Amino acid sequence: MSIKRIRLLIWKEFIQLRRDPMLIRLLLVMPVVQLIMFGYVVAVDVHNLTTAVVDLDRSTTSQKLEAAFTGSGYFTVTQHPASEDDLRPLLDRGTVKVALVIPEGTHDRLTRGETAPIGIIVDGSDSQISAIGSGYASQIVAQFNSARRDELGVTVAAPGVDARIRVMFNPTLDPVNTMIPGLMAAIMMISLMVIMSQAVVKERESGTLEQMFVTPIKATEYLIGKLTPYAALATAQLLLVAAGGIFWFRVPFNGDFWVVLVGLLLFMFTCLGLGLLISLVSRTRHQAQQAVMFLMIPTMVLSGFIFPIQSMPAVIQPLTNLIPLTFALEVLRGAFVKGSSFEALAVPLLALAGFGVVIFSAAVIATRRRIAE
Amino acid sequence: MKAALVRIGAIVRKEFRHLGRDSRTLLAVVITPVIQLLLFAYAISFDVEHVPTIVIDFDQTTQSREYASLYSSSPFFNVVQHGSSMSDVDAAFDANSARVAIVIPSGFAKSLAAGEQAQVAVLIDGSEPNAAKVSQAYSVALNQLYSQELTRDWADAQGLDLSSLGMLEPRVRTWYNPERRSSDFLIPGLMIVIIAIVTVQQTAVTLVRERDLGTQEQLEISPMRRVELMVGKLLPWTLIAFLDVALITGLGRTIFEVPLRGNFWTLAVGAALFVFASLGMGLLISAIAPSLDTANIIAMLVAFLPSFLLSGFAFALDQIPTWLAWISYAFPARYMVTISRGVFLKGAGFTEVWPELALLSGYALVMIVISSVLYGRRSSR
Repeated sequence: MSIKRIRLLIWKEFIQLRRDPMLIRLLLVMPVVQLIMFGYVVAVDVHNLTTAVVDLDRSTTSQKLEAAFTGSGYFTVTQHPASEDDLRPLLDRGTVKVALVIPEGTHDRLTRGETAPIGIIVDGSDSQISAIGSGYASQIVAQFNSARRDELGVTVAAPGVDARIRVMFNPTLDPVNTMIPGLMAAIMMISLMVIMSQAVVKERESGTLEQMFVTPIKATEYLIGKLTPYAALATAQLLLVAAGGIFWFRVPFNGDFWVVLVGLLLFMFTCLGLGLLISLVSRTRHQAQQAVMFLMIPTMVLSGFIFPIQSMPAVIQPLTNLIPLTFALEVLRGAFVKGSSFEALAVPLLALAGFGVVIFSAAVIATRRRIAE
Repeated sequence: MKAALVRIGAIVRKEFRHLGRDSRTLLAVVITPVIQLLLFAYAISFDVEHVPTIVIDFDQTTQSREYASLYSSSPFFNVVQHGSSMSDVDAAFDANSARVAIVIPSGFAKSLAAGEQAQVAVLIDGSEPNAAKVSQAYSVALNQLYSQELTRDWADAQGLDLSSLGMLEPRVRTWYNPERRSSDFLIPGLMIVIIAIVTVQQTAVTLVRERDLGTQEQLEISPMRRVELMVGKLLPWTLIAFLDVALITGLGRTIFEVPLRGNFWTLAVGAALFVFASLGMGLLISAIAPSLDTANIIAMLVAFLPSFLLSGFAFALDQIPTWLAWISYAFPARYMVTISRGVFLKGAGFTEVWPELALLSGYALVMIVISSVLYGRRSSR
């Protein structure tokens, strides 16, 4: 193996990259755009849901209940329609997402010791809001009930359950904290697959691949020279995302730096291998790009990057194990959020290593064969 | 005029021949949307249900078991494991096999019998924030309801009259999508995302490719006029986009039984306008991008990401920062998702969604005008 030849090849790749200055700029803009979009849109912390209150009771109870909803911070009461019929246009237009209907006689029923139903309407056309909105509403009503009981002094000697609810690992429950570590893996995969997949096809399309093979360069040298520049680019993107996450979104890092590094390195081999494989099987750049898109969408959807695996139907869940990103996410999120050690993450790390070895060696063998042809 | 039609027809035939030769691309534009639809519709969901839960019962009494059964009988929690020590919680959380742990300390039944507040610990894994939030809310509600029940039973046993112990009972109704099926919510928006990806990416790439291969010059010295070339180039993609719309709507209606409550023609007009807007965007990219690689990445930045993330198709837009919300208005997907969801789920017609339709047509017009000007300037160079 000749270091000089590898260096020359790397140099050549960089010169080629420089020829399209827009490409480099875009490659550095992309992680920033993704950071903003995923950080602000996907990892949104649902609060201040616009709410309409239909208060048909007009009593101290109904006022207190409304105050409990407002005070929770999850609901912002913006409308007070006079009747339930007025709710329809408000929800239709999306002016409010949640409505609280307090029927007439609620206060009287409560003082008589009866159970008084109150209506909570959530906009089901938005599944995230309807799940979180109805959960919070139930919680507020339950708290309202027990506060009222305490006020009446009924608790004197009555038995009850005092549940201490504690959120571990991510006590603020801010979704950004799990989104950013995941984004690091996702961005590495996207950019490595997008650029890598073009790398070899481009040479083949322009006929320079044959020229390359009549030179004394060996397959391994060719591979190393070809992969290094892109791995460096991906690392730059990764650092950009990590810096943005830690300094702008203030994502806490609780874990072991080495776990993250090992996880990312293993995953990088998988991504490089995948990109290379696509590049080798595609005849044109257009096909390579189609193939990347074809692989990328299931990967994004099934890996649990955006949509929790747990919410998927049981039939689909095993499929997620076929996707390398699933394990990369497990490692990165485990290390960032839970501070998990090598031991706790042994399974996903081994899985990543397995994917890396299989895919990367398949890519190397395929390249060798192509060169031998 | 007739000659122009003949020339356009020739370009359309040429494009289809290219497509026919490139069976993989053809496969990609027809099969990919179907696969995406199935994948998204089955896999995407924010519904939080059956959260895996581990119960550690140090008390081992009838009462503690009764309390634990509250969780197993709730559709929200799914008790997957009964542990015997706290280290089981750590192990389960580390392996992600449970997200919630219920720890009932010994003496639980005794405290209850003594009329005291029995302590219980509920530990929630916060690394999946949405599930954690909903778990938190439901466990608060569940515990408070149970306490209330205990108090009632106790009062009955003591012969006390707790007439003041009335309580509110929340009755949650979900409008538009009563069964809370994610597919109803997602498919109308999904259609838009898929069309945006197919049209923008494909048009952006086909024109750049023509330039890359040098056939652009050949086309320019032919008697073709620029407008004819563009119309001829866009027509096949328009047809394919319409085919995709029909395919996705059909599959959504038949397989996923998504209701179509509103006016079909409103949807059709909206879809057509959206396709034009997307094609215009693709043209614009091809006019700007110097190479295929750049065209690809720009298409991803302005078509895939915004229509996926800033369209409101799966992620609520009223929760994002205002400046980002303004940016989202710069992409047509947002208007189209509103139209599509309005028509499918809320039974909207022209009267409800005309503002979006007007904006979309304005958008399509501006896009096509800008891109033809830029494209023309570029090719006349």
